[in-house]
Amino acid sequence: MTALALRGVTRRFAGYTAVEGITLDIPAGRFVSIVGPSGCGKSTLLNLAAGLLAPSEGSIDVFGERLAGINRRASYMFQQDALLPWKTVLDNIALGLRFRGRDSGHEAREWLTRVGLDGFGSSYPYQLSGGMRKRVAMAQSWIVDPDLVLMDEPFAALDVHTRLRMEGEILDLWTGSNKTVVFVTHDLEEAISLSDEVVLLSAGPGSRTVGRYPVDLPRPRNLIDLKTEPRFHQLYNAIWSGLREEVLKSHARTR
Amino acid sequence: MPAPGRRMILWQIALGAAFLGAWQWGASAGALDKFFFSRPSDVLGRVFQWLIAGSIWTHLGVTLAEAFLSFAIGVLLGVVCGFVLARVPFLGALFDPYIRIANALPRVALAPIFLLWFGLGIWSKVALGVTVVFFIVFFNTFQGVREVDPLILNNARMLGASERQLIRHVLIPSALTWIFSSLHISIGFAIIAVVVGEYLGSSKGIGYTIAQAEGVFDTTGVFAGMTLLAAVVLIVGAAVNRLERWLLRWKPPPSSAEPPLG
Repeated sequence: MTALALRGVTRRFAGYTAVEGITLDIPAGRFVSIVGPSGCGKSTLLNLAAGLLAPSEGSIDVFGERLAGINRRASYMFQQDALLPWKTVLDNIALGLRFRGRDSGHEAREWLTRVGLDGFGSSYPYQLSGGMRKRVAMAQSWIVDPDLVLMDEPFAALDVHTRLRMEGEILDLWTGSNKTVVFVTHDLEEAISLSDEVVLLSAGPGSRTVGRYPVDLPRPRNLIDLKTEPRFHQLYNAIWSGLREEVLKSHARTR
Repeated sequence: MPAPGRRMILWQIALGAAFLGAWQWGASAGALDKFFFSRPSDVLGRVFQWLIAGSIWTHLGVTLAEAFLSFAIGVLLGVVCGFVLARVPFLGALFDPYIRIANALPRVALAPIFLLWFGLGIWSKVALGVTVVFFIVFFNTFQGVREVDPLILNNARMLGASERQLIRHVLIPSALTWIFSSLHISIGFAIIAVVVGEYLGSSKGIGYTIAQAEGVFDTTGVFAGMTLLAAVVLIVGAAVNRLERWLLRWKPPPSSAEPPLG
């Protein structure tokens, strides 16, 4: 089963083309990372998959159905803080269920425990640290039990240690969940440690896919020790040689 | 403003006392003509005399009822119109020049016309108050809805919010900060507008009382009416502050200025 199928997807904005002719299949149940130099249209690609943007050309199928409007099978974890600041942590977590008209109290409390925020249910987002807010966002997007989880550099703003913990927690959540994850990042190490496959996008504007690299590291993975393994370095070097070229191109264009 | 320290409160009291003391002394010593300037002690005396005699309560009640009605109607219309025009870009663009023109009109000049239309009773005053309150609330609501963080909007959409749920869970709470900053101002303006209305033609209300006092060159009566109104505005403003603090409890405590009282 293909979770996400992009066929010749192009998206133009006033005056420039963000992504051009992207064709990409993401099989169900896989953890796929998308990497590329900054400004290469990674976020645009994710917004297209979410249905927040419509493609200028081409089509997107989600689990075999043509996508029109918001992608109802997907959850989205944004790069910046997107929690509702006027709702408590518990209400934020429960939001997706409440929008669907489901009784949410019990499940929301379960998720509160699951992301380690017991005792913070009635706090407001401004009272939490950056890492805690990410945990709320994680619970918020996973509680609705989506088939597809889209993540746009969710941990970019966190310090290295918090980030490592959050990456581990995402893997724990995902393992055995059968969910498809599309994870956008500019950090190649993060991409390799988490995913089954890394998709490389070319430098923008008009970026396209230039490479797909399966990651054959065994699971479950120990994120702390993973980076010292020889296979990790082989993969890193292989993908980096491709990424390096695109980064140089992007530098040349923005100079 | 940050809550003033105990020392600052003493200074503030000292300033007020010095001002009133100078006025009192000037008027008593003859430097200020009592006929034109009255005296703080006389003004205060008159206020208490009114409060005890009781007839002022009717006037105060009428003024407050008018102010409340114009405030309520003005806020309701302002919030609804602000929402609709911000959410339906076609209507927003269509009405934009006319709203600007209407807002630029000197509305106080409408007071005599409202007297013709709605008579001497409370509704001519309410109409005047509404025209003042409406625009303040409308512009703030419009702005508030327009400035909703698109990221939060997208997040709510992805979580499955319908348009109605978006309004209830995202747009209203987000616009509330803006709406509240307009409430502070519009409460004061509502009271001023209805008092102006009463002043121009009525048989009840604080504005009427002030106009009566003015008619017989009773400066003390004019000042007493103003003092009473100022006290009412401050009390209502404090109540709005409380409500605001409760409704906006999700905001980090303010580090900078609080909006001024209406």
